[in-house]
Amino acid sequence: MGRIVGIDLGTTNSLVAYCDPQTKKPVCITGPYGSTLCPSVVSLDPDGNIIVGEPALRRLLTQPERTIYSVKRLMGRGVTDVQGELKLFPFRLDPSTSNVIRVRLGDKVFTPPEISAFILRELKNWAEAHFGETVDRAVITVPAYFNDAQRQATKDAGKITGLEVLRLVNEPTAAALAYGLHEQQRGKVAVYDLGGGTFDISILKLISTEEGDIYQVLSTNGDTHLGGDDIDNLLQAFVHEKILQQDEIDFSPRGEIAQELRKALIALKHELSGKESATLQFRLPNGKVFTHDFTRGALDALIRPVVDRTMGPVKLALADAKVKPEEIDEVVLVGGTTRTPLIRKTVQDFFNRAPHTDLNPDEVVALGAAVQANILDRGVSNMLLLDVTPLSLGIETYGGAVAKIIPRNSTIPASAQELYTTGVDNQTGIEIHVLQGERELAKDCRSLARFTLKVSPAPAGLQRIEVKFLIDANGILQVAAKDVRTGEQHSIEVQPSYGISDSEIERMLEESIEYAEQDFAERQAIEARTEAESILTATAKALSQEQAAALSSEERAKIDSAVAALKEAISATDYKLMRKKIDELNQATQHLAEVMMNSAVNTVLQGKKLAEF
Amino acid sequence: MTSAAPTPNASSDYFAVFGLPRKLWLEMSWLEQKFLQLSWRLHPDNFVNASDAEREISLKRSSELNDAYRVLRDPVARVAYLLELEGERKEGEKKQQAPPELLEEVFELNESLDELREVKSSGGDLSDLKNRLQAAEKNFQETLDELDAQLQSVAREWDAALDGNGTAEARKKLMARMNELLNRRSYLRNLIANVAKELTEA
Repeated sequence: MGRIVGIDLGTTNSLVAYCDPQTKKPVCITGPYGSTLCPSVVSLDPDGNIIVGEPALRRLLTQPERTIYSVKRLMGRGVTDVQGELKLFPFRLDPSTSNVIRVRLGDKVFTPPEISAFILRELKNWAEAHFGETVDRAVITVPAYFNDAQRQATKDAGKITGLEVLRLVNEPTAAALAYGLHEQQRGKVAVYDLGGGTFDISILKLISTEEGDIYQVLSTNGDTHLGGDDIDNLLQAFVHEKILQQDEIDFSPRGEIAQELRKALIALKHELSGKESATLQFRLPNGKVFTHDFTRGALDALIRPVVDRTMGPVKLALADAKVKPEEIDEVVLVGGTTRTPLIRKTVQDFFNRAPHTDLNPDEVVALGAAVQANILDRGVSNMLLLDVTPLSLGIETYGGAVAKIIPRNSTIPASAQELYTTGVDNQTGIEIHVLQGERELAKDCRSLARFTLKVSPAPAGLQRIEVKFLIDANGILQVAAKDVRTGEQHSIEVQPSYGISDSEIERMLEESIEYAEQDFAERQAIEARTEAESILTATAKALSQEQAAALSSEERAKIDSAVAALKEAISATDYKLMRKKIDELNQATQHLAEVMMNSAVNTVLQGKKLAEF
Repeated sequence: MTSAAPTPNASSDYFAVFGLPRKLWLEMSWLEQKFLQLSWRLHPDNFVNASDAEREISLKRSSELNDAYRVLRDPVARVAYLLELEGERKEGEKKQQAPPELLEEVFELNESLDELREVKSSGGDLSDLKNRLQAAEKNFQETLDELDAQLQSVAREWDAALDGNGTAEARKKLMARMNELLNRRSYLRNLIANVAKELTEA
């Protein structure tokens, strides 16, 4: 058997961690780019190679139509669910999209689990390079508020990668595990987890028993479509509007410029976490530079709606746990977005308690996943996790109403039995519709599955079928049926409303192996080529601007020849040569870059002077 | 900790899961302790590397444990479950019953609620109506508390009847009484929830 790892499959970044056998402490694995964070970005290059992480992130600017980010927002969702996202994110849905979303990358079409599988495979590669051993099992984290379909899609991604997913662990619970181990916490803990695309709040009770420590989740709540992305969207819309007003320039919110603007705004947001004011300078397609001074206060006012939206779920979770804010002993902040000062302050004021932030909020979930992976690997342990199901499970009854059979925040595994009988003579099937959600009507809840119980013809009311609904420790539904009179198991075929069939997963697994077989040199070549493409694009763009006229003809010739040499290098396969030519082009364009920068600064200064008059 | 293979002969009786007789009074801290102890023994995390059969059993038994704890720790759900178990409260027969002595008040309340909706849509002054509804809500809440006290006292009688081996007839009577109280209770709870909803929306 190979190694086991814990994986945080995030909206913005993904990480892989393991428990060090010597120190017994969880550690995140550093990837080839020197960071533990693997950007959750996947790109397909024109040769059909899949590129993941840092190099894919760069391709977001050069080849946005072949690159996808924030795919987690699409996991386990149908077309009607994601209409809102489509306006804000550059997802290109393929016309073949039905219940299962299919996105287009260049000339190929993938489902969200397949794209997530590419990210998982990249992390698996990181870990295998680190251990020098194969990795075949994983614990993967999911937002606590993920529904059945979103969980199933995550598990499918693991299967497509060829990883045995031993457990799906809720992200805030994983964070609590990591903190518990780190600080020996006791009592009632609130975990506030605001990531790139999802928000979770979990209330836990940490109990010491003779056998060991129990982490009992009392309640969880959240919003699977609320996160740092929404802050970025607000910022982007605000600046876009300003640009429209001042410079009368409009651009597609999905194209290259929008991506560059987004990148600049994210940097600005990070800067304002540490400083009281910062200035945005953004080069517009017409060569002008848009400038806007932001203060922390202005940013806070802009993003307050997002922060306020998190407080509703916080109050609901406390009510369900029957815990008052002042009874919370510890508050833990998780997710990169919680670095935002306004969020820290809001949470601190609400609980009247300084939150724990000692562990890196980007890494803490992966660390917790590694702890749980270690527990499962050993089979027995002195730690036990009792988690809950975030949403009520129900079945549709007469008139489209929903009967709740497993209430939300039930400890999992949890089950419910329902007895079914025929209503008319010689009825041959009983329709069952399973749903998840808190609303009264089926149409307002999430459809999980529909199936028909087949029964042999008999007088009405004679056939009795007991159906058992079970939510397993991953929060995933299982259904079994039994004929009450004969005691025989009844076979049922459950058609998931938004899932991929097992045979389709098999096919995807086979296909994905093709992508995995690229050897080291090939991977290096792909990465070097990606980098080269982005430099070539940037150079061509700079040369087309009027400021490039400031270059001497000698300088210009040097750049042209370096460009030609790099283009030639990337048409072959020698990655070392590509790297060398990249460096040479970088050197040749140094002066050009300075000219561009000075001109940008001058534009800003001139603009100010004009405004003063 | 060693985890012995769980035995498959699980009982579907929630009281039996905790090794308890079908009595209604429970020491909550004892129940929690027992729940945690059993969780250590049964939880699927301890059987990840076990055989398929063992994993299956662990899943079945631990879900049953969680189901049992969820129902038994809630005093009202506990009574409802007992009545179901004893065949007194059948599936599909759970009905909400308006307490007859409250009919007049319920009638008035519904009128006030209608009025509230009307005034709300015409944009008039709600404060007087709101006060009236809040008073009614408080009144019904008191009645609900009273019902709960009555339910508790019948539950004690039930436990005593079990201890003293009360006649089947006596037990049947107690169950019928508890069933009626539960039906009234669920009617009142809905009523209060409706008023609370209208008030928060107003």
